[in-house]
Amino acid sequence: MRRRFAGILGLSILIASASALGAPAALKPFERGSWQRVLRSHAGRPTLVHFWGVTCGPCKIELPLLGQFVKDHPEIDVVTISADLVPNLSAATQSMLDKAGLSSTENFIFGDGFVERLRFEIDPAWQGDIPRTMLISRDGTIATIEGSAEITDLEKWSAEQISTH
Amino acid sequence: MVRTGLLGMVALALLQSTALGQMHGQHGSEAACDEPTLRCATKVTPAFGPDGTLWVAWMAGGQVSVASSPDAGHSFLPPSQVTTKRLNLDWGPDARPKIVVDRKGGIALAFSIFRDEAFNGQVLYTRSGDGGKSFAELEPITASNESQRFEAVALDQDGTVFAAWLDKRNRVPAKQAGQKYDGAGLFFASSRDGGAIYAEASLAHDNTCECCRLGLTFAAPGRPVVIFRNIFEGGVRDHAVVTFTDVSTPGEIRRVSNDDWKINACPHHGPSLTVAPNGTYHVAWYTNGKTRRGLFYAHSRDEGRTFSAPMALGRPDRNPTRPFVLAGALGTVMVWKEFDGEKTSVQMMMSHDDGETWSSPRTISSTSDTSDHPLLVSNGRQMYLSWMTKADGYHLRAIEDQP
Repeated sequence: MRRRFAGILGLSILIASASALGAPAALKPFERGSWQRVLRSHAGRPTLVHFWGVTCGPCKIELPLLGQFVKDHPEIDVVTISADLVPNLSAATQSMLDKAGLSSTENFIFGDGFVERLRFEIDPAWQGDIPRTMLISRDGTIATIEGSAEITDLEKWSAEQISTH
Repeated sequence: MVRTGLLGMVALALLQSTALGQMHGQHGSEAACDEPTLRCATKVTPAFGPDGTLWVAWMAGGQVSVASSPDAGHSFLPPSQVTTKRLNLDWGPDARPKIVVDRKGGIALAFSIFRDEAFNGQVLYTRSGDGGKSFAELEPITASNESQRFEAVALDQDGTVFAAWLDKRNRVPAKQAGQKYDGAGLFFASSRDGGAIYAEASLAHDNTCECCRLGLTFAAPGRPVVIFRNIFEGGVRDHAVVTFTDVSTPGEIRRVSNDDWKINACPHHGPSLTVAPNGTYHVAWYTNGKTRRGLFYAHSRDEGRTFSAPMALGRPDRNPTRPFVLAGALGTVMVWKEFDGEKTSVQMMMSHDDGETWSSPRTISSTSDTSDHPLLVSNGRQMYLSWMTKADGYHLRAIEDQP
């Protein structure tokens, strides 16, 4: 009985451990003040921030390309932010990130219904079109790509970040 | 030790997922609450009936409902639920239920749902023939199983209901032929029986932008006109109008302006169109093009062949969004939203000379949390702002000529 219990306990720990190791980091809610925290936590490091959404056609095409970029460029910090406004999307969002190879990047999902305020904190001129990519250099300079990014442009920017280091 | 760490990670993951679950409650949501009531609505669409009754259709708690108000929005009669179960409604920023009320009091309704996990859409419609007490079973507006979204519905003088929507059916043959397919097709269908049955869907124009609301009205009896974000050569997503010669025959595509917004993205920000009794087209739209950026207005006095020079709307430092224009008995009115970092306001301006000159913008409403697009609706004599806000509920506010 004892052995059986120990066995079940061991199995439970194994399952828990496996799911913890295999499980992607949970999506973080992106709320008021999150943008400044993202900027602070990546200050001094070249960082690519990608805004996307599960209902956006061009995003579906771009996301796996970004997954490959992440794999090829460990020197670049990558942050994704799901800016779709459809509610209860965490499962679909995570599933698309997993399929795109972006399970282990720092992934956010808009967690405040007052999206005008969230967008205003990021860029007062942004009206919510996605995909959108912000390239933040070591010195904090931000270049924004509206619409789908060309991976060649990301490669070029990435190379510049290495050469200026 | 390692196991403790892993269990700790599991616990943390569980805590995070719990937090995320809670996030989708009232705070994280666009809705004030999760019931199918008007107070919980994120999108509310108004229409006046022939007897001056205000009708509103709304999305709340995964359901679509309708209610009427005999006193211009001060009070509402008990609502009728159009849907019988919670649906995966299209919650996109430019999606909303559509409602028209005909001369006999018949109500035609349409809205979109996401039909699968890939967020392919489906346009559903229904009709009430008993003054909104009950609605017919929901039907797809077309038999096609490809994605459809962003339906628009308008009522002709003879009671014909005309519907237009964005439809991705043509991507299938393109893919089979190994060809690239951009955007979606602008499809349309009409119903001669007040929205009970729609004729087979037809294509008005292929390869339009797939994620913005359409503007739809009648230029004259029997002649619908649609404004949409087109994809012009080189992937430029600028606006165009198409005026039909009859409800089955689309005319030529006419460009509203050369904004040169080349972008492969979902702007989620569609245009607005109204036609004045004298035939003038008034249009308002958002662009982020090379030529101009922001909200703009223009008019056409020759059925869209030529448009006036685009006029910028709103304060550029306050992120003007969601323009809506409506021509009424007392003049032409435009509203849009601005955001100052804390509050969203609705700005209004009016023209008494058919769009040649406009009053200065004036704040007519504001709110401190998220809000629906501001809409205008007229009962033929008085024009109203229709605006749903999370913090302050639904408002129908008469548009006054003077402050």
